[in-house]
Amino acid sequence: MGYTKEEKAMIWLDSFPLDYAKKAALLRAAKDPYLLAERAEALLPHEEGAAGKVFEKMLSSLDSADYMKGLLASYEKKEIVCVTCFSEHYPEALRNIPDPPLVLYCRGNVRLLSERKFAIVGSRKTDADILARTEEISRGLSRCFAIVTGIAEGGDTAAVRGALESGKIISVLAYGLDHVYPAVNRDLLKKIAKNGLLVSEYIPSRKSEPYLFPARNRIIAGLSEGVLVVSGGEKSGTRITARLAYEYGRDVFAFPYGIGSRTGAGCNRLIKEYAKLTEELVDITSAFGINLTEKEEIELTENEKKALSAIGETPTHISAIAEKAGLSVSSVQVCLTMLEMKKAVVSCGGNRYAAIRRP
Amino acid sequence: MLSKVTSFALTGLDGVPVEAETDINNGIPSYELVGLPDAAVKESRERVRSALKNSGRKFPLQKITVNLAPADVRKEGSVFDLAIAVGILKATEQLAADCTGIVFLGELALDGALRSVTGILPLLISAKAAGFRKFILPAGNASEASYIEGIEVYAAKSLREVVDHLSGLAPLAPVPVGKYVSGGGACKFDLAYVKGQATAKRALEVAVSGGHNILLIGPPGTGKTMLARCIPAIMPDMTFEEALEVTKIHSVAGILGSGGIVDQRPFRTPHHTATTVSMCGGGTRALKPGEISLAHHGVLFLDELPEYHRSTLEALRQPLEDGVITVTRSGGAVTFPANFMLCASMNPCPCGNYGSADKVCTCTPAAIRKYRSRLSGPLLDRIDIQVEVDSVKYDDLASDCLEEKSEVVKKRVERAREIQRERFTDTRTNADMGERELKAFCALSKECENILRMSFESLKLSARARSRIIKVARTIADMEGAEQIRPEHILEAVSYRRYDNMG
Repeated sequence: MGYTKEEKAMIWLDSFPLDYAKKAALLRAAKDPYLLAERAEALLPHEEGAAGKVFEKMLSSLDSADYMKGLLASYEKKEIVCVTCFSEHYPEALRNIPDPPLVLYCRGNVRLLSERKFAIVGSRKTDADILARTEEISRGLSRCFAIVTGIAEGGDTAAVRGALESGKIISVLAYGLDHVYPAVNRDLLKKIAKNGLLVSEYIPSRKSEPYLFPARNRIIAGLSEGVLVVSGGEKSGTRITARLAYEYGRDVFAFPYGIGSRTGAGCNRLIKEYAKLTEELVDITSAFGINLTEKEEIELTENEKKALSAIGETPTHISAIAEKAGLSVSSVQVCLTMLEMKKAVVSCGGNRYAAIRRP
Repeated sequence: MLSKVTSFALTGLDGVPVEAETDINNGIPSYELVGLPDAAVKESRERVRSALKNSGRKFPLQKITVNLAPADVRKEGSVFDLAIAVGILKATEQLAADCTGIVFLGELALDGALRSVTGILPLLISAKAAGFRKFILPAGNASEASYIEGIEVYAAKSLREVVDHLSGLAPLAPVPVGKYVSGGGACKFDLAYVKGQATAKRALEVAVSGGHNILLIGPPGTGKTMLARCIPAIMPDMTFEEALEVTKIHSVAGILGSGGIVDQRPFRTPHHTATTVSMCGGGTRALKPGEISLAHHGVLFLDELPEYHRSTLEALRQPLEDGVITVTRSGGAVTFPANFMLCASMNPCPCGNYGSADKVCTCTPAAIRKYRSRLSGPLLDRIDIQVEVDSVKYDDLASDCLEEKSEVVKKRVERAREIQRERFTDTRTNADMGERELKAFCALSKECENILRMSFESLKLSARARSRIIKVARTIADMEGAEQIRPEHILEAVSYRRYDNMG
């Protein structure tokens, strides 16, 4: 992978542990990034303390050509492509946010960055039926957008699963690409790297820290034309993503929840403030003027139809379904398993089922 | 003078003939007991001495040597007391009767009374096989011994009675042969008292019909334990052979009730602090059967499965597969039968409220996963049916509508078992099927294959679940009397893999 002079300068600059503000200040002072190296002596102030030491390291790294060569070689070995804010692939939308990441470390299909992008985010505590709906919407949306999300369990993972099939999935991480978090999604991370795209603002060795997640959220919001919030309580991190998206002028969508719902209070608040109430795919696509001819019909038997229509608005208990459908519990069980396989219902635990598709 | 009297020693579940040889010599009065006796056997000296004295006989003031042959088998317990006492009586010529071919079993009290001992049934069975036909044993063991046909059993209350019987002064009547009547219906828990829970009840019925192991998953206080306790009542009655096997084990463990024979399927509920040894069997002296053997032909109920020690649970894997357990210690190895139905229960998550309709689960996905990972995959693999038990509403509890009685369910279970008996021509159940039987009896139509494949893809089941699902589907088909496995059977079986695709 060949990098231009500017790109190399950015990669060099970003490889040092300076905070974002310092790096941005250096860039501004250098006017042009490739001048950074030339004018390094003049630009890097003599400072005491940690920052001073970093500056010294930066200067010494300029003396040998090996530093840059080694850095690029190690990235190539890890199959990491660096997209800097001076790169051609760097998404325009992201450039326009107040604090655009200097370098995006990418693994996977980098071309996804140039496609239309839409973010789906959810909290870790998301109800089973919402997860199924999220997966469904993500699958549908991935036909016209690359889906941008995180990698946390719950809502994010559901969005990933939905879009993974089409390969149009961008997962933005809050840590370097060397790491795996959460461990349970190790397999999923591999699949995303293979079919979709993993993106991180941080050098590969950077470990995850709690405060990196809000910073990561600005990338999710910045990359996307719109954000769908599928779940989140009053204090959920998804509200940060939504607020940032709103500030960046993106469209914000949210699933509605019932009064007093703990897992969805944040969504309801978003709807009160600025988000668009979203129940199905068309609520989103219409906002972008996209016309998706969707919903392939699913074939249902007579009993399955009965069982499906017996499921209420909220997760319904199997015995209630059986009673309403006029079937025995064991035959309803059979129908529900089949419907689950056809992705029309989802089991919410405790023998309760929710319909995610109506005939 | 020398005398020889026969008794029997217990090793595991088998009896070994033991010859009590007594020799009386002149010399300084002493009592020497040889032949690898343990402490309880050694202490027989004091019991025998007092018992003889208090029965109006003399304990010789001579040099007494008692040898329990074969001398290389370890002797345990108090079962040899009677044989030693009779041997001394014969050696001192206080008793002239011929005792060859008679097996003496029993512990002596100081006043000469006979106390019952453990393990009578397995001893009699082994002795009968070894060709012995006459037995004298404590009256307390009479009912237990009465179930074996083709032998003469004399039950005596005291040493005096034994002596009078042998000398012909007051012969005892042989114990009449007992008639086995299954007491399966006497279970005090009935499915009729469990309100609602239709899915769980149905799953229980399937599990019992096919001999499948079952895992009940549900919030606290939803009646998981209650459901489990109903299992013995819907299991088929034990046959005499099964009852005899169970009684043997319980007799060795010394937990036999006064009834003499175990006529109800055992229901064992070891607490989750149980050690591996107590679960599988073992012990420092005699190798005793563990909980899994005590649950032979019955139910082993493990409440709060994830709370058990990991090593204890892993130890269950092999017996679950083989139906027997071989306990090996430096002193030797003993094989106990352990063909039980495992019924386990657990909460769906640490706080217990996952999937609850009215309570909120406060667990993070990671916490739930950690809780569930306490159960290993291989163990879960051996549990064919996993079913959710949900919280019961007050209205359901208070309702008067009558639920199905255990008896009715039991009739259906028996019918399904009958089909399996014809299929396997022995007592095996669908759950015991191996690869060969699966091929022979569980041919799947194209449609079924498709559904199975679909379910694996969409419900993310583990590949290991495949044969489990087919076995359960076979049972469901049997319950309907269907020759072929149909798609709905497969689907229902798939729905019993809740744990695999939860969360």
